[in-house]
Amino acid sequence: MNPLTQPIGLSHYLVVGAILFVCGIACMAAKRNALGVLMGIELVLNGANLNFIAFGSPLLRGEANQTIGLDGQLIALTVIVLAAAEAAVALAIALVYYRTHATIDVDRGEELKG
Amino acid sequence: MNFPELIQSVFDDTLGPGQSLSLFRPELTLCATMIAILLARMILPRWKTSGFYLVLLGLTLALAFVFPWRWFAEGALPGQEIFTGLLAADRFSVALRGLLLLFTLLFVTFTQIAGRWAPEDGAEFFVLLLGAVLGMCLMVSANHVIVVLLGMEMASLPCYVLAGWQRDRRVSSEAALKYAVFGAAAAGILLFGMSLLAGALGSVHLPTMGRRLAELLQAGVDPAQLTALILGGLMVTVGVAFKLAAFPFHFWIPDVFEGATAEVAAFISVASKAAALGLLVRLAGAFVGVPDARQFLVVLVSLLAAVTCTFGNLAAYGQNNLKRLLAYSTIAHAGYMMMPVAAMIALAGGQGSPDAPLSEAQKAVAALLVYLGIYLFMNLAAFAGVAFMRNVAHSEDLRDYAGLVHSSPGFTVCMAIVMFSLLGIPPLSGFTAKWTIFLALVSAKLWTLLAIGVLNTVLSLFYYLRVVKVMTLDAPPADRAAPRIPLTSAAGAYFAMLTVPVVALFFLWGGLSRWADAAAQALFFTTFGP
Repeated sequence: MNPLTQPIGLSHYLVVGAILFVCGIACMAAKRNALGVLMGIELVLNGANLNFIAFGSPLLRGEANQTIGLDGQLIALTVIVLAAAEAAVALAIALVYYRTHATIDVDRGEELKG
Repeated sequence: MNFPELIQSVFDDTLGPGQSLSLFRPELTLCATMIAILLARMILPRWKTSGFYLVLLGLTLALAFVFPWRWFAEGALPGQEIFTGLLAADRFSVALRGLLLLFTLLFVTFTQIAGRWAPEDGAEFFVLLLGAVLGMCLMVSANHVIVVLLGMEMASLPCYVLAGWQRDRRVSSEAALKYAVFGAAAAGILLFGMSLLAGALGSVHLPTMGRRLAELLQAGVDPAQLTALILGGLMVTVGVAFKLAAFPFHFWIPDVFEGATAEVAAFISVASKAAALGLLVRLAGAFVGVPDARQFLVVLVSLLAAVTCTFGNLAAYGQNNLKRLLAYSTIAHAGYMMMPVAAMIALAGGQGSPDAPLSEAQKAVAALLVYLGIYLFMNLAAFAGVAFMRNVAHSEDLRDYAGLVHSSPGFTVCMAIVMFSLLGIPPLSGFTAKWTIFLALVSAKLWTLLAIGVLNTVLSLFYYLRVVKVMTLDAPPADRAAPRIPLTSAAGAYFAMLTVPVVALFFLWGGLSRWADAAAQALFFTTFGP
């Protein structure tokens, strides 16, 4: 079954969500700039959001008892708010880090050795 | 159902005989306290007490609303879902919220005695603290994916800020940045895992997810769905393991503890751990009704517990900073506390009559509650000792504790008691805690885990003893004045006061375990019915 010739369905949304997730993880792992890492986190959250909305849509999933219904959209809205709060806190912390280190390179913080 | 009926049903559920709102009063009180502190600052800009008394009042009220004494009565609070299934209100959530609020009450007193920050910052500190506690209260009564996410984020975000509280110190901002970045990444992974699980099971209500999984496995599951389930389960494990600081997601703990103040480290090591364990019990409890999931979860949690415990104890050896040493000790204790959760999963729905294994599983959860109740005092006392020494000696290095027994003998005795209790030697309450969880492992027949637990207790002997040895046997450094913390000072008295329950809970063993047994009753009402 070639997904490119199929009508748009649940699996297409899931593939996009998975791609966003993998991009986000790669971004978090590869970027050394704190802002880049935060962007990676946003990608992961949005990938999850896309999944929730796709799973909640009765159009994409035939059987009514298999969807998570409105809960999916509610979770997506909540996650958007949480992501904003997280970004606000993380950016404030990045600013403080910049003030003390004059850089936002996460690798330059080397006074604490895990 | 038309719209007015829907509104009426929500109204009845919230305010009617179901009384969702009345069971939610502790959280509402916390919210009101936060707002009151902020308003008080606006009205009285140079308010000297920095909201401390407001916090005390709010926390006492919240603790009274949890009603930790009333549910000893027969049949009180049998367990029910409130807010249309979003939260579970049972004795377990009451007990854990009671522990969290009691800890916070002790903790704000501790920060007031030991805290070294500008008075105008005090109110923000307390507001963030109460926000984190609010999130933790949600975590331990979570019954729905949305509450899991909301609670975890509400508990984590204030902790990131608290970790970087000393804005001008380089290590502090570094700790906060690392904590925020890793924490947000873990939360993202947990969220994605949750989306996979919710999609594959077609529900976001945790007990319904458990039931759907049982139906799905009976009807036969197709490979794609199974992959989604396993991947989702593992991703959720990553997120929870990060909050628990389980190996291999423990690496943030030593850095954050070293960079943050000892006060914040105490908060993260006790309150954050307790909430994460409560969440683990809730998540695992939803799926224990499914035999295949149970086998998977037992192996997963046992493995995490064994590796975390062993790693924490081994890594603690090389540490010369006492806060780092306590960080690894915290990791090891997180491992111990995951052991009764593994026992709970193994025991739930085992062989025998349908009732008996369930009560055995509840005993395992009771063991966890006993451990948490004792750990609260032990670890708070240990970090309090570090903070008081920092205020006097301006150092957290172990070698600055050398010969402390000559200058402040009372403080040294209390610190030694705390160290021996963390190790688990009778007649101290740390022994009670370890003994109870090992008994739970015996009843679950998890012999390997039991052997690892006992071996780890022996392993941990040397680094706890080293702290005591440095304090008592080593010669005090000649080049500076000996630090003095008399027991008559506020700091010394507070420290001695914390040591009392560390000793007393060994002798009040029976009362504590009765309390925990009562708290664990009706835990699985959503999974197996009341």
